[in-house]
Amino acid sequence: MPDKQKNTKLFLLLLVPIITLLAGCEFKDIDKNVFVSIIGIDKSDDEDKPYKITLKLYVPTSSFKQSPEPEYAYLSQNGETLSEAIRMLESYSDKELEFGHSKLIVIGEELLKEQKVSEILDFLLRRPDIQMISWIAVGRPSAEEIVKMVSQGENAAYPALFNYFEDIGTESQYIVTTFLFDFRRRLTEDGIDPVLPIIEGKKKKKHFEINKAYVLVNKKEPYELSSLYTQTFNILSMNASVADLSTKREGQQFVARIDSINSKFKVIVKKNNKIELDMDTSLVGYISESKNQLKTEDLSYYSRLFEAEGEKFFTDFLTEMMNIGADPLGFGVDYNSRILHNKRMSAEEWNEAYKNAEIKLKVHADLKSTGIIQ
Amino acid sequence: MSRYYYYLILINMVANVIASVPAILLQFHKQGSVSSMILAAIIGTILITIYTRFFNAFPGMTLPDLLKKTTAKWFYNPFILLLALVWFIAGLITLVTFAFLLIRFVTPEMPIIQIGSTIILSVIFGCLMRSERVLYTIELVTLITFPLTIFIFYKAYTSDNLNWDFVKDAALYVNQMPNLNSFGACLFLFLGVVNLFIFNRFFTEKQSFKWKHAALIGVISTMTLFTTYFIPIGFHGFENIDELVYPWISTSDSIRMEFFIIERVLFVFILFYLGIAFLSILIHWHVSMEFLKFVFHLEKIKFRGLTVGTVIPLPFFIGISLYFLRELNEYQLFRISGLFYDSLIFFFSLITILLFFIKRRMKNARQAKEY
Repeated sequence: MPDKQKNTKLFLLLLVPIITLLAGCEFKDIDKNVFVSIIGIDKSDDEDKPYKITLKLYVPTSSFKQSPEPEYAYLSQNGETLSEAIRMLESYSDKELEFGHSKLIVIGEELLKEQKVSEILDFLLRRPDIQMISWIAVGRPSAEEIVKMVSQGENAAYPALFNYFEDIGTESQYIVTTFLFDFRRRLTEDGIDPVLPIIEGKKKKKHFEINKAYVLVNKKEPYELSSLYTQTFNILSMNASVADLSTKREGQQFVARIDSINSKFKVIVKKNNKIELDMDTSLVGYISESKNQLKTEDLSYYSRLFEAEGEKFFTDFLTEMMNIGADPLGFGVDYNSRILHNKRMSAEEWNEAYKNAEIKLKVHADLKSTGIIQ
Repeated sequence: MSRYYYYLILINMVANVIASVPAILLQFHKQGSVSSMILAAIIGTILITIYTRFFNAFPGMTLPDLLKKTTAKWFYNPFILLLALVWFIAGLITLVTFAFLLIRFVTPEMPIIQIGSTIILSVIFGCLMRSERVLYTIELVTLITFPLTIFIFYKAYTSDNLNWDFVKDAALYVNQMPNLNSFGACLFLFLGVVNLFIFNRFFTEKQSFKWKHAALIGVISTMTLFTTYFIPIGFHGFENIDELVYPWISTSDSIRMEFFIIERVLFVFILFYLGIAFLSILIHWHVSMEFLKFVFHLEKIKFRGLTVGTVIPLPFFIGISLYFLRELNEYQLFRISGLFYDSLIFFFSLITILLFFIKRRMKNARQAKEY
């Protein structure tokens, strides 16, 4: 069909000049961007400009061989608002600041105590380029110090801090992992309180320590969880997947390595606005260290000892949380999920009930082995 | 039923996850959204059954064909024009919503007009295609986008960070009276079937639509509604969920796939929804264009032997959409979508009555012929 062929040729002829209209991407070239890896937010000394932002920037290099050591650039600026500080920072850099790849947000300890978290959160959530899956943590002594520190043994182009929170690196039982969206929902909901890990920078030793956490209770000073409580929280909320727990009872002293954790809880409502917190935790593992010689036939006896010890730990933790009125595990939300909305008790009644709640805790321990030796 | 029929219904359901439907539902999270959803699931399934049964009775006939036979001209022309307008607005809302999403999350440096024109350009030629080709396009794009979209939903459901307590909390608000806005938004999910007004011309063979087909559609739509409403709540809590402007975008940004090509699911999600939004606009505008052809007999307008009539509506389509792209802000878009969904409740109730009327007339006409 010559006619059709002619049409096709005409079409192609028209198409060719259109190609000249292609002017390239509207995107900025990748070498005109500089990628932010960690955002640090602090309280500044300046009264008028209360916020201080510190950014850790990846320094672009052409190849790994050229710079096997970790190299970063840092920018720091005070501002009345966070956006103002960032606007000033943009004038310090010849390239566009790209926040889309930042994976960690560090808030300075002082700023956290000033009750300004919701203002910071507003900024972080409102910007579309900041990931909701970035981790959020508290920096001690300040966010700036944490952001500017490079720990020993850090790989090039991958900040060591990410490995702490990512499951593919260390799996310590002391590290709480909080995503930005999780932080938001815990902060805005009534029945559950946010928990933020504390990153301590040990400058002399050149490493980070992350084994404590803050619980933010509504309109109160943030409560610091000790390492032991942080670990207990991690186990009860199933944040940790493995844990070492020691037992010292009836002349026996051993450490059990738990590799399967399962924890459930529910709120049981009784008469007169009284509640009972019902917790059920199952721990499966083996004994990894002992002061005395162990016998395999006594494994179930060791399990009982371990259960008693676990129950004591967990009850201590819950009692402490109830005393300060903090609810990091979300009993309040669990209560809401059981009672029709128009039959629930008011927030004040719930707080009162939570403080006086009965604890019914059961630990099912199952130690499967004494390890390689008896 | 033919698989193309299911595509029509599915696209409308899934495309709305990204539009204002979840935002409207979550806006009224404490004023009866859950009961509205249940009510809409029941009424929607009934509506789908009625419409499908009706068009099955007249294989290969479009609604304008049927109206021509049964109604007077003074009613026929304005009515079809109104239909064309409704379908145009439906496509326009999706277009503007998606252009806003793109400028907010993907290409903030690009002017909105350029984003809009890019989408319009790819859609507009599709509108001029023949109906069966549109259906083939739908199949192609659906096969590419659906598996990944479903995978993202699967990841959302299996995520550790999905807190089911929030979901249960939200579900317990079931004992409230349904409200109109939520109901309208939910019902829009079920209205994919009305595209049969034009696309029925493709289904020339007699199809069977039994209760099991209706049940299948009912189950799928209930699952879609459930996902649309409850997954954002599971990720972002219940109390302040209404402060999210794009609930599903925030939700996809809260899903993490650390071993996937891209860790941040948001971009994959937007990219694949671009495909689905494209289909949604394509279907709506194609139907709108076909209605216009019926009113103005566009295919008869010729210039030097070339049929130029069919391209006459294009400048209007492009012009009006670009105008609204520039003028609207997010709140106005949200309000307009809400009002549009509400008005559709009444509009399609009236059309359902009209269908019964047509059916009776056609029956009479057939009987008259037999005598």
